[in-house]
Amino acid sequence: MPRDTKQAEAALQKLGQRVRAGWAKKHPISERSRQTVRTTVREQWEIEQKAKRERIQSQKPPTKNKGKDKGRGQEPEV
Amino acid sequence: MMDDLIKLVRTYRLTAGLADRERLADAIFAEVEPAMRLFVEGKIRPQYSDDVLQEVLIAIIVSLPKFSGDDFMKWCRGVARHKIYDQYKDNLKTSERFEALPPEEITELIGLSVAATPLATGEGLDLDYAMKLLAESKPECVESLLRHYVDGLDYGEIAEEQSLNYDAARMKIGRCLETVRELVA
Repeated sequence: MPRDTKQAEAALQKLGQRVRAGWAKKHPISERSRQTVRTTVREQWEIEQKAKRERIQSQKPPTKNKGKDKGRGQEPEV
Repeated sequence: MMDDLIKLVRTYRLTAGLADRERLADAIFAEVEPAMRLFVEGKIRPQYSDDVLQEVLIAIIVSLPKFSGDDFMKWCRGVARHKIYDQYKDNLKTSERFEALPPEEITELIGLSVAATPLATGEGLDLDYAMKLLAESKPECVESLLRHYVDGLDYGEIAEEQSLNYDAARMKIGRCLETVRELVA
């Protein structure tokens, strides 16, 4: 019995799902890609941490009586 | 499957710890990498495709904070498309190509999938019918049908790839399907 367009479309969709699933079985993530992902995730995390530290530093209120402790444990200014 | 992927991506974006992010990234890219490999290998010559794929993976991770929407795979394909065009500009030798998966490879991939998840009732008949549709389609139709149904590109993405407008891409696929359906009937 001839199939209608919707059935043809559904059949191709099923084929697509099966091909993608088979492809993922045949080509699981490579070691090179896994390393690329790990390295990039770590680099991005480090960039975020650095930005966070810098943000906190820049938000610190200025110290009162600036210069009060100046020279403690250091050579006195001449 | 796709809902799980979106959940993983959203969790990744909300996660601060490095070890948790790495674990989530492993799960996300176990699914995304094979799909991107299939996509890139359809556009870039084999000797360059793995390098381009690495660029794509890096770009996806770096751009993750900008992701919004519900279709992560489509968004990844958009990122990949930019990287592929960059490659075309930088290195003409990579030149654009489309090589449809040969029927024997499609059969092999279906076999691998069926080994993991057995066929549902009637599915075998549907798959045979779909194979017949592809076998009887004109080459330019095979490209569009595979891009749409196998790679999962929507009409907008196909329109962009083939320099068509959205309606023209939609009608082209509809015509291809209708023509071959009548032929196979």
